[in-house]
Amino acid sequence: MMTEQQRLPRKWKRPELTYKNQKRVWAAIFLLPWVIGLILLFIFPFFQTFRYSFFKLTPRAGEILTENVGFANYSYAFNTHVTTTSSFRVELLDTVADVFINLPVLLIFSLFIAVLLNMKFRGRAIVRAIFFIPVILNSAAVVSAVGGGEAINAILEQQGIDKVFDLQFYLMQTGMTPGIINFIVGLIDRIYDILALAGVPILLFLASIQSIPKHLYEAAKIEGATAYEMFWLITLPNVKVHIGTVIVYALVDTFLTSSISNIISTELNKQNWGLSSAMAWIYVGTIILILIVLGALGKLFKIGESHYEN
Amino acid sequence: MKTNIIEQLKKSYHGVMKDLKDPAKNFRRKRKFQSFLMTFFRTVLLVGLCFVILFPTIQQILMALRAPEDTNNPAVIWIPENWSVMNIKIAAIVLDYRHALVNTFKLSAIAMVLSMASTALAGYAFARLSFKGSGILFGLVLLTIIIPPQALSLSQYLYFRNLGLIGKEGSIYLMSGLGMGIRSGIFIYIFRSFFRGLPKELEESAQIDGAGVFRIFWNVMLPNARGALVTVGLFAFVWQWNDAYYVKIFEVSTERFPLLTMQLINAAENVYAALFYTGGLSLIGQDVWENPVFLALISNVSALLMMLPLLIMYLFVQKQFVESIERTGIVG
Repeated sequence: MMTEQQRLPRKWKRPELTYKNQKRVWAAIFLLPWVIGLILLFIFPFFQTFRYSFFKLTPRAGEILTENVGFANYSYAFNTHVTTTSSFRVELLDTVADVFINLPVLLIFSLFIAVLLNMKFRGRAIVRAIFFIPVILNSAAVVSAVGGGEAINAILEQQGIDKVFDLQFYLMQTGMTPGIINFIVGLIDRIYDILALAGVPILLFLASIQSIPKHLYEAAKIEGATAYEMFWLITLPNVKVHIGTVIVYALVDTFLTSSISNIISTELNKQNWGLSSAMAWIYVGTIILILIVLGALGKLFKIGESHYEN
Repeated sequence: MKTNIIEQLKKSYHGVMKDLKDPAKNFRRKRKFQSFLMTFFRTVLLVGLCFVILFPTIQQILMALRAPEDTNNPAVIWIPENWSVMNIKIAAIVLDYRHALVNTFKLSAIAMVLSMASTALAGYAFARLSFKGSGILFGLVLLTIIIPPQALSLSQYLYFRNLGLIGKEGSIYLMSGLGMGIRSGIFIYIFRSFFRGLPKELEESAQIDGAGVFRIFWNVMLPNARGALVTVGLFAFVWQWNDAYYVKIFEVSTERFPLLTMQLINAAENVYAALFYTGGLSLIGQDVWENPVFLALISNVSALLMMLPLLIMYLFVQKQFVESIERTGIVG
């Protein structure tokens, strides 16, 4: 006992910290690796890209020649840039329109599937496991390799054996208008893409549904609430917290897999560094704008606030 | 007798009518019908969607298992006429499969551990350790999520070149360890959401019991965030495995350190050349490799070979993954 008491003050004297101050110190320690990464690998490159977007960069042996061109890169990206099939401006507008149409569909679809997967039924484990497979197989490398498979499909199509069941033909027989047929067929053709994009949102929703305390449902059941009421009054308000996460994820994912990001990559590889920097900044500006709009809408409808606080 | 039958019929009719009008029984019947309808539609929908998901993979596996000669046989569409693993063998040669697999696994595993550590710490700091300026810093996290990697990679490349990390796997580890790896921002976001969702009482009671900040994090909060840990771990691994962008920019995949994604992309861009240089052509006849369908088939099988380890691993992790989403032993 004695020795321990004597030894204690001799060691490094720890200043008395209140819990609040302790938290501050540990916050700094916890954040240290990330902050170093942020400064070196994010902020510094970020501003350099911003600077580059106003320059014409020409690589020379061992150095890079810079020439200030003002806003020329931006105006080039918007007005003159073309690829073989499209242009930067067209693709940008397409992607933005896509986001506003697809995002609500994606949100509702993934919440719906998450609620389904959360129910108790036979084979639930298998179905859940299958639903997350697209998340795992979603890879640019695989897409580029399987793209070669189109040759197979083309040849099969020539032989007239591409489809076992021709939906379009069948719908035509029922006498629907071509507009509706195209919509349905388009939707069904894209089911796999939607499922691939919805994998992570389903996961996030499922996780947040399962974090809802079970006793809320038990109490509601005793009071005689229907499944429908339980969804609106228990599930939805509790899931709200994670809607923000899902939106941010889906938005960024849509942009990352869009053709804009491909165009920027291509320009980067062609060593049009100034132009690709300018495009990257336009891309960033667009996403931030969309997020601000969505954030304002969220504030308006009070979505995305944790109900554990206050 | 006659009256008796009519009487009985009347009786049973009244019985049925009474039964139909009984509110309690009706209610039960309605419930039963509803639940049957629910089960029916749920089953149809889920089975259909599962089929859509599994269909391409099944198709690929069947294509992989047909003999190379079958590509010249127009009658073979689904079931191979001659079963064979020749396609898989050829694709494995093209990919330099054994080396690439080991390297990719090592890279993904180390990057996963590093990025889990850095993002869990940061996420906890944002969720639970409030300090001045945490809002601004978290805004920067959001910014790291939405800034495309293309906007940063040029400067990062020049930076790593100065450090001599180009062409080495160290560049990937450095990025992950400093919380700037593939979509690390999303991991921080997930961790923050989960830690924030844990009730305050947990922390308060631990604090009253005399636990320090780190102890609360390590012994109380982290075990409760197992769902987030498994989720982030799986994503970090899978995304690193599938990544072709950073690996290409930092030239990580070299002759001595081949990686699956780059090998696959190189092979897919020119299957014939890949077959020629790796000696895969000598394994099959000219009538087969002259067929474009066969070349497409090989690139398909290569893609399958790249995904297969992930699928097998997922089979083992999936239970843990799907179930540990559920929060364990909290909220009484």
